[in-house]
Amino acid sequence: MSILQVRDLRTHFFTQDGVVRAVDGVSFEVGLGETVAVVGESGCGKSVTALSILRLIPKETGRIVGGEILFNGRDLTKLSEEEMRSIRGHEISMIFQEPMTSLNPVLTIGTQIAENVVRHKGVSWEEARRRAKEMLELVRIADPERRLDEYPHQLSGGMRQRVMIAIALSCDPKILIADEPTTALDVTIQAQILDLMIELKKKINAAIIMITHDLGVVAETAQRVIVMYAGRKVEEAPIEDLFDNPMHPYTRGLMAAIPRLDIEAEVGGRRTRLHEIPGMVPVLTKPIPGCAFAPRCAFATDRCRTQAPPYVESTPGHVAACWEVDRVREMAA
Amino acid sequence: MAAIAEASLSAAETRKPRAIWVAIRRNPTIFVGSLVLAVLALMAIFAPLIAGDPLRMAPAERLRPPSETWWFGTDQFGRDVFARTVYGARVSLIVGITVALAASAIGLVIGLVCGYSRSVDGIVMRIMDGIMAIPSILLAIALITLTRPGLAIVLVAIIIPEVPRIVRLVRSVVLSIREQPYIESAIAGGTRGAKLLFKHILPNTVAPLIVQATYVCASAMLVEASLSFLGAGVPPEIPSWGNIISQGRSFFQIAPWSILIPGAFLTVTILAVNLVGDGLRDRLDPRLSRRM
Repeated sequence: MSILQVRDLRTHFFTQDGVVRAVDGVSFEVGLGETVAVVGESGCGKSVTALSILRLIPKETGRIVGGEILFNGRDLTKLSEEEMRSIRGHEISMIFQEPMTSLNPVLTIGTQIAENVVRHKGVSWEEARRRAKEMLELVRIADPERRLDEYPHQLSGGMRQRVMIAIALSCDPKILIADEPTTALDVTIQAQILDLMIELKKKINAAIIMITHDLGVVAETAQRVIVMYAGRKVEEAPIEDLFDNPMHPYTRGLMAAIPRLDIEAEVGGRRTRLHEIPGMVPVLTKPIPGCAFAPRCAFATDRCRTQAPPYVESTPGHVAACWEVDRVREMAA
Repeated sequence: MAAIAEASLSAAETRKPRAIWVAIRRNPTIFVGSLVLAVLALMAIFAPLIAGDPLRMAPAERLRPPSETWWFGTDQFGRDVFARTVYGARVSLIVGITVALAASAIGLVIGLVCGYSRSVDGIVMRIMDGIMAIPSILLAIALITLTRPGLAIVLVAIIIPEVPRIVRLVRSVVLSIREQPYIESAIAGGTRGAKLLFKHILPNTVAPLIVQATYVCASAMLVEASLSFLGAGVPPEIPSWGNIISQGRSFFQIAPWSILIPGAFLTVTILAVNLVGDGLRDRLDPRLSRRM
């Protein structure tokens, strides 16, 4: 039973240099209580997908030009601004990348959590404050009573991200969108925050859309993974399938680019270089007729450059958009 | 043992005065500035108690130099310059405070709306640019010649050209705060227009607004003195520093005290306001204050 269905979503930005096709026909589903990771390098449309779901694309420059986003059967792209507001922070909430600047410096922690509760649950401020304290306990902040009256600058980065999670979960959302929630934190805090999110997700039974470029985070948290490239979904798979048997050349490239300590560092007296994907991310202002990854792909043929590849399903739930799946598989074997 | 207890007791006793001392050491400019302003304010409030009648003329005592009876001397009508200077502080402080408060309040509202709504911004900011293009003293003279002279019209004449300066400041702060991630995350939480503006954006504008208000205060005092000196300010029967200087002008060579003393008061007052403004700016700017 899926709670969110994104179908052929297209979000374009209209700039002086032309139309940027930031999200260009992305489809996926999120099940009730499921964790789905969206991965890809910077500028591939991960964050724009997330912002599109909440309809937070800046009106001056961008627009959802096509597709639908079904949340509990309702198409979010067709809701009024008023209806959208009651969904944001309530049924679908979001955590941003920068915990240092995502909290208002002039409002206390308690106010910022309670405000969300008052707005969406219509309870009194005393009630909301009690809820805020509960939430701080839930995200394991010590001495919550005192922290309620503190300002963001009195908290460390990890604690601020905990507060952000507390705000996001304060109204029992159905879906939590986490846009690179751990990128700005140091590694030990990253692990703590991820553990906390996994634990709370079970408690609250929310679905999580985890946006990240860190495959380590994906491996640790997600059940299903969507790999995006140049505004398109190139591969989607259950987590084990993706790591054991990546189908798309881009996914394989990403995996090879993870620094590893367990393989022999020195070969014939020389250090092996970290693998990189040659070339650059394509310019999104020009329409790409074939596969977006073709110019950087070792397997690319003329067909790849001219015709958009279909989604090929190898095992149940594992699809990849590639013409040369068989050749890629042979190479791996 | 007893000595230690005694020492800790005395430490506790001195903690309070020491805290004040630390605060003074940390912000000497605010302290000096506010001390001067406090003395001037007390002087203005209790003027009838410390000085005689500023309007009483004593023709036999004209142009007396400062002495024990006439502390600041007398002017060409035998009026007590000390009494006039003390009463003059009232006008300057009223003008400074009123203009700072009124211009901040009006400018804050317009600035918030301009920063928030692009459509309003285009029109209102052009009007503000227009007001800024008019020299403030000329505008004041025009307004005063159109109406009867009085303190109220002087206040209005000074407030109007000060408003655009506040509007520009508030607008620019709102524009930069709007782009902050915490505003985006407030919107992602479903916060709506007015609440977003007043609860999340407005408090962030307060610190720069307070600092700007002190500069507006100082500039208002100076403009009032200039207008009074030119004869376009408060009516001559009200002793203001500008009036006193203006009336003493023709006797500068034989009675310089009637110009130099109110002039010195004006200078010190404006210096004190600016010191407080500078101190507050250092204190309220988070990047600078963190270093202290």
